[in-house]
Amino acid sequence: MSDNVKAIFSGDRCLSCTACMAACPVMAAIKDYRGPKLVAPAHGRLHFSQEDIEESLNYCSNCKSCDRACPSGVAISTMIMLQRAEYYKRNSHIRAEDMLAHTERMANTVRSMPFGVTLANIGMTLGQSLGVFSAMGITDKRNLPAYAEMSFKDKFPTIAQESSEKKVVLFTGCYINDNEPQIGEAFIKVMQANGYEVLIDREFKCCGSPLVANGFLDEARQHADNNVARILEWKEQGIPVVTPCTSCSLMLKEEYYELFDDEDMRRAGENVFDAFEFLEVLQQMDEFNYDLNDLNQKLLYHVPCHLKSQAIGLPAADILELIGGVTVKTANAGCCGMSGNYGFQKDKYDIAMKIGAKLFERVNKKDFDQVISDCHTCRIQIEHGTKIKPVHPIEILAQAYQFD
Amino acid sequence: MIDSDVIVIGGGLAGLMAACVAVRRKEKVTVLTFGSGSLPLASGAIDFYNSKFPETAIKNLPVGHPYYRIGLPAIKDSINFLKDVTARANLPYTGDLSFQIPIVTAVGTLKYSTLIPESMDASLLGDVKKIFVVGIRGIKDFYPRMLVDNLKKYFSNADFNPVTFDLNLLGGRDINCMDAAQMIADNDELFINELKGLNATPEDAIIIPPVLGTTDNSTRVTVKTQLHAALIETTCLPPAPTGVRLQRALTKYLEDNGARIYKNANVFGGVVEENRITGVVTKNSVREKFYPARKFILATGGFYGGGIVMREFDKPHEPIFDLPVKYIVGEENWSNPKLFADKPQGFAATGIFVDSKMRPIDSDGQPLFENLHVIGANIGGKDFIHEKSLGGIAISSAYKAATI
Repeated sequence: MSDNVKAIFSGDRCLSCTACMAACPVMAAIKDYRGPKLVAPAHGRLHFSQEDIEESLNYCSNCKSCDRACPSGVAISTMIMLQRAEYYKRNSHIRAEDMLAHTERMANTVRSMPFGVTLANIGMTLGQSLGVFSAMGITDKRNLPAYAEMSFKDKFPTIAQESSEKKVVLFTGCYINDNEPQIGEAFIKVMQANGYEVLIDREFKCCGSPLVANGFLDEARQHADNNVARILEWKEQGIPVVTPCTSCSLMLKEEYYELFDDEDMRRAGENVFDAFEFLEVLQQMDEFNYDLNDLNQKLLYHVPCHLKSQAIGLPAADILELIGGVTVKTANAGCCGMSGNYGFQKDKYDIAMKIGAKLFERVNKKDFDQVISDCHTCRIQIEHGTKIKPVHPIEILAQAYQFD
Repeated sequence: MIDSDVIVIGGGLAGLMAACVAVRRKEKVTVLTFGSGSLPLASGAIDFYNSKFPETAIKNLPVGHPYYRIGLPAIKDSINFLKDVTARANLPYTGDLSFQIPIVTAVGTLKYSTLIPESMDASLLGDVKKIFVVGIRGIKDFYPRMLVDNLKKYFSNADFNPVTFDLNLLGGRDINCMDAAQMIADNDELFINELKGLNATPEDAIIIPPVLGTTDNSTRVTVKTQLHAALIETTCLPPAPTGVRLQRALTKYLEDNGARIYKNANVFGGVVEENRITGVVTKNSVREKFYPARKFILATGGFYGGGIVMREFDKPHEPIFDLPVKYIVGEENWSNPKLFADKPQGFAATGIFVDSKMRPIDSDGQPLFENLHVIGANIGGKDFIHEKSLGGIAISSAYKAATI
């Protein structure tokens, strides 16, 4: 039995109203999943009193649509993740789950080898064509994201910054560090334009979101304890921790506390901000730099599920609309289906693509100049489904601060 | 952050309707919701009053009744407005205040309502020769023979034919109407072939559970063009496709017209300056957020929706603005022990009293705030469920509040 009680007892508030079922994109896509109501508040509470597992819980993508639909504040998706961890205490992981949960470990291994990145990127293409990934349980229908030549953390010391009394720590997350470091650089540009110096903390580990989603809960707890201790140290110095990755920010702000029920985690969460949420705070304190270039761009914004769950509004849309000539339209097409590494799994690929179909249709109208989304796996899914490559909203804002 | 013209708190029928009306008036609208509201659980039929002639009944209501304060013109306008918005979303509604339309329930009783989705209109059942009642193998809670047994009591001259289709929906979880509606929307071929196989004539009617898609009328149109008989959807247990369609139609109208809908937004208080509200404050697990606006519409529901709570007996409480809540004094008057008796429940009259502009009033009948309006099930005074006026009060009070 898990030592977490808060999330489980939130199931007692369930009225069995079925609002979560009407909102679940996985249920709408397939018949094998018994759905959030049955898995979490119904079966979940029985499960925590006796050893009995509802196996279809592995279909949950952790998009958290159920949580947002629930009128009673039941921590539905967290209950499912806790049960998934219990499931893997008695069942072994397949290779794909191990690999996809440990993206950080894999990147570190690759980077520690000579020519590691080049070889790994070749290896990923080869592995795909030779059927190696498929044998491991990873779909061969989409490319694994390529590693950047140099990680953000390795590049960081070479990025020139004006020092400032005002500082933030950038929590890069795995993807910005290993795959799209230019987003980290864009973040620095934006923060510098607003009078902030950006620090990084090499002690930070992966937020743990992929570990939780794949049932490696004990390991996620170690990451949480490590990261929370670091965040609290920064908090003591009055330096906020900011991240442009919406799944990282949700994990650091809310999910640690919901999963592990530790007061330190709640206190640490208070020092964590989504990047645009932080910029909006600057606006409110009259510290935001409104000196922006005109860009004349029509943007289509796919709002990530994990941003919606944070209940912070749409700060990226509001701030980008301050740029002359920029309009932001939201895609309003629901979940993209990718849900972190869910759409990389061989047995989930078709589900992910079916869920994403509505978004692809919307993007394929091509009535915009660029697609933006804060979440990297949403961006991967949109590019895969439409061949149109989206960017992170912070990259647009960085362009607007670029005067040359 | 952007200032809104109107902030609507609550995303049920009343809240979405008010937001739609405000959007039509070109106002900048933000909807703050916590949980999906009760539309996915509802039939989508909007009852106005339990009378054969609702208009006459409403005209004769006493001065204190919410309908009296809303006034007949706004009530009629709200009906036309809802018909217009749903028609634009390809979900046509039918009916007006002068008469009631029968709809068939899943157990084969007739229920009368005022404003209903076209697909549920059962008016012609009295004139048909043969009535097919179609079940679908695997769907729980829909039994054609039971439905026929009950419906025979109304239409004793008709020839009833209960049938069950096998649409290959077995396997995986037990399915409900929402699942079947989704699957038929994805692929309607088998269903259409089975329906054609009934060889129903233009003098017949086919009654089906509500399975014609989860978004709009497009599946119904496709199916209908290939049949000669009328096709009538019943109500069902939740989650209900008919209610979900209305929710999606209203939401689509809002999103298409630039309104912002923020989910998980737990509004816990308002900021007051003299007799005006200047903003509301939401709280997520780590911090608060202030949403300013010119006008506020409270649509958080009654006891069921959490818009009114009661922790101590005889102390009902409106948790956001601490508005005065009226209720029937004396524990013995609160409930009628016969739950399904044809008598109102005392507790159900609990709510906030409003003036003709839907503003909450004090004990002298004076409005408490200039720019705060209270609509839907938040309003007190009557047992709206017993009156069968809950839906009508919701959309007409919403219309009135949004057009002030």
